[in-house]
Amino acid sequence: MLKIQEIHELIKRIDESSIDEFEFESNGTKLSLKKNKEEVIAQQPAVNTVQPTTSVPVKTEDSADIEQVSDTNTSTEQPSTSTKNYDYEIVSPMVGTFYSSPSPDKDVFVQVGDKVKADTVVCIVEAMKLFNEIEAETNGEIVEVLVENGELVEYGQPLFGVKTV
Amino acid sequence: MESTRHRLIELLANSQSSYISGQELSKKLNISRTAVWKHMKELEKDGYKIEAFPKKGYQITQFPDKLSSNTLLWGLHTNWLGKNIIHKTKLNSTQILGNQLAAEGEGHGTVIIADEQTNGRGRMERSWYSARDKGIWMSIILRPGLLPNQAPQLTLLTATVLADVLSQKNISVTIKWPNDILINGKKAAGILTEMQAEQDQIKYVVLGIGLNLNQLQSEFPDSIKDKATSLRVETNKEWDRKELIHGILEHFDTVYDEYMESGFENIRLKWVSYGYKIGEAVDIVTPKENWSATLVGIESDGALIVRNQDGSTEVLYSAEIKW
Repeated sequence: MLKIQEIHELIKRIDESSIDEFEFESNGTKLSLKKNKEEVIAQQPAVNTVQPTTSVPVKTEDSADIEQVSDTNTSTEQPSTSTKNYDYEIVSPMVGTFYSSPSPDKDVFVQVGDKVKADTVVCIVEAMKLFNEIEAETNGEIVEVLVENGELVEYGQPLFGVKTV
Repeated sequence: MESTRHRLIELLANSQSSYISGQELSKKLNISRTAVWKHMKELEKDGYKIEAFPKKGYQITQFPDKLSSNTLLWGLHTNWLGKNIIHKTKLNSTQILGNQLAAEGEGHGTVIIADEQTNGRGRMERSWYSARDKGIWMSIILRPGLLPNQAPQLTLLTATVLADVLSQKNISVTIKWPNDILINGKKAAGILTEMQAEQDQIKYVVLGIGLNLNQLQSEFPDSIKDKATSLRVETNKEWDRKELIHGILEHFDTVYDEYMESGFENIRLKWVSYGYKIGEAVDIVTPKENWSATLVGIESDGALIVRNQDGSTEVLYSAEIKW
């Protein structure tokens, strides 16, 4: 059975590659990925069974938010994204809690309008008491903060929209 | 330079019941007798006492009880961990220095140890009480070839390493998810892991360990008195910092290699064997909500599995168990 991160990795690699279609079968698990049209992922049983366990929030609002965000994530390759006022997304490298400041009584790392450099720390994502300082990895301006402090974020979920320079 | 000094300690220590002449030392170390003498002076600064007996030679009469990079390195049997040990008597925090050094390119396996931290850190910049010589305050720099989303497993791994080392000393410990070490339900050690990572690559991890050794219960600040403990409180005896530091580093060295080779499953099984309140109801706190649930166990990636009161099962990556 494929791990969720392996599937993520596969999706990412295929996204970046010239392959349109990918099928994989092992021990009764079948995974097929397609890239054409809106349907980036045509059929993904493994993802569907794993995802509910990783996206924790019980509150339907939160889950809806996350789904929405992952939808926009999968469609980043689509031309429709050109309407956004940013051209770069800082994404979460893991599942965890998003913190916008180093501690509750401190100022946020960055806010809309701030200029960032590649090594500017923009937030912390915490999972299992591991605190991951996320750097912007690009030069530009924060034009949108896409998640709330304390929110649970998924692997690959966009956290900030950046207008690069 | 460093290694000459260690070989000198070794030669002296091995001939502890007899003497070793300056000439022999000079020959074995392939340095001049003046250089041997200079190294001995340096060792005396670290707390070694080396006496010269006319016509017989040198002998170590006292080993240091204070820590230094030299005393910590000598007798440490690891493959890769702690080959560079940076020891400071006083630091704001080993995590702060660790992060700085790692950002400047310090390599995998470097260990930073302080006798005292003036600004010892827990998570979310909470303070960690770390008085002089009372415990082990150290950070380890790692550059693991893992995906960033696997890195949290290192915090659970470290908790099992501490639990193993203490168990070998006949101290019964439990691990509160993900990585607090409890003795008789009170916290004796904490782990703080900080990481710099890109989307698919870890730049570095700085793993901080705080282990309370020799505090008396009355020495803890009021705010944590009811929840903190030390090995001394639990065992009624003083503990040697160096011996435990070596124990932790040597075990970590082995367990980390096994993990990198064969994955998390063995760590997971070990972790569960130490798991605090598995099968029991606890209160759970996340930044957004509080609720009570039963601890079921941990997932194949280290996440916490709980059963809610409505019977549903939930997997948590980020939460705190109230205790």
